[in-house]
Amino acid sequence: MLNLDSFFEWLQATGIAMTIGGSSSLTGLLSGIHLLGLTIVAGGAFVSGLRLLGVLLPDQPVSEVAAPAARAMVIGMTTSVATGLLMFSSRASAVAASEIFQLKMALLLAAVAFHFTVYLKTTRQDDAPVFRLRLSGLLGLALWFGVALAGSGFILLE
Amino acid sequence: MSIMEILEWIEATRIASIARESAWGFQILVGLHILGLIFSVGTLLWFDLRLLGVSMRACPVSRVYRQLMPWTLGGFVVMLVSGTFLLAGFATNAYSNFYFRTKVIALLLAGVNAAIYHLVTERRVAQWDHAPKPPGRARLAGLTSIFLWALIILAGRMMSYTMF
Repeated sequence: MLNLDSFFEWLQATGIAMTIGGSSSLTGLLSGIHLLGLTIVAGGAFVSGLRLLGVLLPDQPVSEVAAPAARAMVIGMTTSVATGLLMFSSRASAVAASEIFQLKMALLLAAVAFHFTVYLKTTRQDDAPVFRLRLSGLLGLALWFGVALAGSGFILLE
Repeated sequence: MSIMEILEWIEATRIASIARESAWGFQILVGLHILGLIFSVGTLLWFDLRLLGVSMRACPVSRVYRQLMPWTLGGFVVMLVSGTFLLAGFATNAYSNFYFRTKVIALLLAGVNAAIYHLVTERRVAQWDHAPKPPGRARLAGLTSIFLWALIILAGRMMSYTMF
């Protein structure tokens, strides 16, 4: 862990990290863009998840509802990860040591891996077996809501 | 009674002190506020995108609306209630905060935008319900909604970083 610790200390000392850490307005703006990204990701997961579960617009093809949502989720993820990394850089050591942050990252890794392996494939086809649609919908919803809740838990520590 | 005195009285109520002083009270309220945001704005975005003619183009506008709106409104109520409690806890700080004022104005404008859509634009929805790309007025309503809600989210986060 020593290497990682010294990496975080180096990261915190970089010019960009110092600038972010020194400005609450800049941190607030990054946090706002971070939450915008999350709204797109979790909203997309919600809408497409409900379609996969057959709750929302069940008469529409899966690809009509869930495929654009899954693509929008990638835009949201990119936005949130980029702003998240910038915010992380300013307080890397303290944040990395937080258990709720570690939980959020573990859930995020699982959610991203699931999205790019199972989810994108499932939402692109209209003839996937119903069981697979339902299970993908449920797993996607659980993982992304987990990320959102862990993220809101982390706000308290800021 | 001045506005400041009223706000101080609100801050002194029991519910406001729970929002402010209890770590769990604050935590649960913030969690609910963000969940409400995902349900409401996260689903509203897809109706706005339908109005813009960007997604779900094969599905009638009125049907997308009816399917999404229970989630949007349900989430909005959760967001409004949790936001009211949070606001009560920090009433005097919020009142003088620039971003809080921006957020309130943007919320009111979002309400006006929705009212104009429902009272004027939507009255002729039968003519363009199936159109992949709805007319300019409907697209403008969708775009305005996306812009205002993005502003509300940004201002909401900015206020919590600049209030204390």
